[in-house]
Amino acid sequence: MAKRDIPEINAGSMADIAFLLLLFFLVTTTMDKDQAYIRSIPKKIDLPPMDNKVQERDILAIKANNQNQLMVRNSIFRDPDKISDFILKFYQTNEKNNDVANNFPMYSTTSLSLCDQNMALLENQLEEAEQKGATDQAKFFQSSYEEWNKKKRAIQLYGKSEIRELSVQAHIRIEVQQGTAYSIFAQIHNEIEEALFELRDKECNRLFSEQYSILKRRTAQDSDPKDKDKLALLEILYPARIIEVTPKN
Amino acid sequence: MSKFKKEGSGGAPAMNTASLPDIVFMLLFFFMVATTSKETDPTVEFESPTGTKTMDLTPYKQRSEIDFLYLGTPRNPNRANAFKMGFALSLDNVVQATADGLYPTNAVGRWKKDKFSQKPARMSAPIEAVITCLKADKNAPSGLIFDIRKELQEIEALTIAYSVRDKGNI
Repeated sequence: MAKRDIPEINAGSMADIAFLLLLFFLVTTTMDKDQAYIRSIPKKIDLPPMDNKVQERDILAIKANNQNQLMVRNSIFRDPDKISDFILKFYQTNEKNNDVANNFPMYSTTSLSLCDQNMALLENQLEEAEQKGATDQAKFFQSSYEEWNKKKRAIQLYGKSEIRELSVQAHIRIEVQQGTAYSIFAQIHNEIEEALFELRDKECNRLFSEQYSILKRRTAQDSDPKDKDKLALLEILYPARIIEVTPKN
Repeated sequence: MSKFKKEGSGGAPAMNTASLPDIVFMLLFFFMVATTSKETDPTVEFESPTGTKTMDLTPYKQRSEIDFLYLGTPRNPNRANAFKMGFALSLDNVVQATADGLYPTNAVGRWKKDKFSQKPARMSAPIEAVITCLKADKNAPSGLIFDIRKELQEIEALTIAYSVRDKGNI
């Protein structure tokens, strides 16, 4: 039999097929990324609120009213961009030395031995609670044990035997009214985030000589335990304690 | 005596389009890599406020650990006064009035619980960790945002994300 040539396949419509696919992807996808501020909502518990007063120096209240005017610690801010500077002041004023005269939160020293002490104490309490069968209590002791453990690891990473820590009660409080525009609410979160970023970025550069944003992006993609510890240390040094107060009717 | 041969049919020679598919495929791959799939076309209109130093939600989206809800003005402006403060809530393209009289108060909670029960089995995150991303119009009143927040608190879906447009990303 005579050898026959294999006929060539006409690839003229390949381009059409590819265009079709391309158009499909153009229509069903978007370029813009979803960007947001992630916050956690406090868990609802039935216990009556504890009656310990928070010192005035530990509260940074950022208020916004129905007319979208801003007030930080009883002084009106016309330029919302200035709020982040004030938040920086809130964190940094007593960072090196405590001064009772100013109205900013105190720093205290946490040492490795204190961590060990507390961890040992909590371990005992945990065992006791488990024997009694008080699961809620056990859960609480478990979580505080983990918190102290995290702190201990952070101090070890910090490279010293102790660490300067912001007062546990110090927090930023967002108080808006029913009619405050979402843009103002988002702007307040933006200012907080900006201030925290600046503080953490500076410390990240000093301790690990790299940028905070890069460290954060890397942890979001694949979680290397070393990076996680670094982030935990930065979060202990400059904690983001934000309370969003539900507006009254 | 024609020394010059006349060309038979004349006209330009056919262009070789063999590499056209390659070029189109290249474009296709670029778009496949550079974009993410659209969540839904929300049934309300909204324009996000801008912000900086935001968190990119793409990794959460890829793990489908995120649910979106939209708060904006209804498409038909005449319907605006049917809603509390003129803003409507879009849950999976179903517009919910935010007025207390019109919708069962736990609509957000039921929607979120429903979404959570439909998640694939490989997704192990507990409901506290599943992000609810709130995309609100820049003029939306905060009161409504706190209403939604309260409903999420009731069902212990404790992670919320306030969506903004990143200034550096426009």
